[in-house]
Amino acid sequence: MANSLRLYLTCIRSTLEAAMCLQNFPCQEVERHNKPEVELQTSPELLLNPVLICRNEAEKCLIETSINSLRISLKVKQADELENILTKKFLRFLSMRAEAFQVLRRKPVQGYDISFLITNYHCEEMQKHKLIDFIVQFMEDIDKEISELKMSVNTRGRLVAAEFLKQFI
Amino acid sequence: MAAISVHRFALCITCHSWSPDRSMVAFCPNSNEVHIYRLSEDKWERAYVLQKHDQIVSGIDWSARSNRIVTVSHDRNSYVWNLEGSEWVPTLVILRLNHAALCVQWSPQENKFAVGSGAKTVCICYYELENNWWVSKLIRKRHNSSVTSVAWHPNNILLATTSTVGKCRVFSTFIKGVDTRDSDAGASADAKFGEQILQLDLSYSWAFGVKWSPRGNTLAYVGHNSMIYFVDDVGPSPLAQNVLLCGLPLRDVLFISERMAVGVGFDCNPMVFAADESGIWNFIKFLGERKTSSFSGPKYGSQFSEAFGKFYGQSRQGTSNNGVPQVISLLTMIECCTSCIVSLEESGSSSTRRFSTSGVDGNIVIWDLENSEDLLEFL
Repeated sequence: MANSLRLYLTCIRSTLEAAMCLQNFPCQEVERHNKPEVELQTSPELLLNPVLICRNEAEKCLIETSINSLRISLKVKQADELENILTKKFLRFLSMRAEAFQVLRRKPVQGYDISFLITNYHCEEMQKHKLIDFIVQFMEDIDKEISELKMSVNTRGRLVAAEFLKQFI
Repeated sequence: MAAISVHRFALCITCHSWSPDRSMVAFCPNSNEVHIYRLSEDKWERAYVLQKHDQIVSGIDWSARSNRIVTVSHDRNSYVWNLEGSEWVPTLVILRLNHAALCVQWSPQENKFAVGSGAKTVCICYYELENNWWVSKLIRKRHNSSVTSVAWHPNNILLATTSTVGKCRVFSTFIKGVDTRDSDAGASADAKFGEQILQLDLSYSWAFGVKWSPRGNTLAYVGHNSMIYFVDDVGPSPLAQNVLLCGLPLRDVLFISERMAVGVGFDCNPMVFAADESGIWNFIKFLGERKTSSFSGPKYGSQFSEAFGKFYGQSRQGTSNNGVPQVISLLTMIECCTSCIVSLEESGSSSTRRFSTSGVDGNIVIWDLENSEDLLEFL
């Protein structure tokens, strides 16, 4: 199982290395503006083909590139209802603080759990391979975080129930 | 091994250009200013700052004979700067663009310059003495997307352009009153202004960095699909070749001689291409230090095996927050994408030995091919 995670992440990493070739590009539609073309989607010649990398039905990653920006959307594995709720709450917590992360998008793309938006300005300020390391590390950590949260919820529930039922002994 | 000096000027450099005597360099530090630095006794000091644009300056060209600087910017404006005394004085250019300007180049005789823009047009500007300004003629037809790069043919009339649709086009830019018809220029001299001589549909991704060879026989441009295209005999029946790169796409290319070209791009390592006696272009080597990985060897050029090498290193050393130690060796003297390559030789010479590159990491690196014996045969 760990093997397929490694392969999944390696595939994403090499796709990102090819996709993160961004450059400054002024908007073709509005003068004096500079917008991320992947969000604008008005000029089809500036967009590249989106790449969808699926680990299984539940986990996938969509990478959409354009000439000056890149959007990465992740769908995280959610095995049961509890993980569903935990994932939603945890990722919503992160997305609300998107400014602190800089590359995070405030709302995930439709059909996915969390999205990143990387523009050429991010590539100029930060190093490209560090950005890719961050995304891949994030994907690894997300699974660990969700299972830790689930375990702590279960543990807490067990403790609370044990305390409550003690009064009936 | 061929780089002779590296200078870090700013956080990020958009474009640069050298003065005619190669003692001063003008560049844009990713802002709306143009900084000119002078080399005096091995130290670079800031000589002038040109501040007139409102947005980032996307193109700078310093003419060799008339010592004029032309700058274009994303704010749709362009200025021609003349050195009067100790100050650079801007002259107005009537560009008539309604979107950002992306690139600029002086023509070989320096009486015109071409500007490529996001308004899907190319402006050819020439000087009008009566009003002391530069007026433009627009090539409005044909382009249906931003023009990313322009290049003049040595005959001062033909102009090659590349755009984000992947097409490379050659136009005639004959302007009455500015150009004279040469009898030896051939059929291309009879074309009207704005007439398209040739359209090349070779790349299915964005095209950048078009350049003519020193005598004007060959045209080269790069596509974002990691290919570089060489076109010989530009005319009614061109001969095109493409060379597939094993790494990330290139951004710009420079002809060292008629048979050798250097490309720079997202791989941060200049690549040398040369044509053999039969005219077939091939990739020769990288100029900078190669990236090291646990699977070293030229046959493992694909990105997948590079990433695989990182994974192996990671499992050996355990996961660490700052990544694999081999990643550190990726950082040679150039850390980021190189976006601009400029010749350091006198203009009009048929071969170049020295050139400089600038990129997103803010470094200007000067390269010299003097000591590369294996490349000298192509000069």
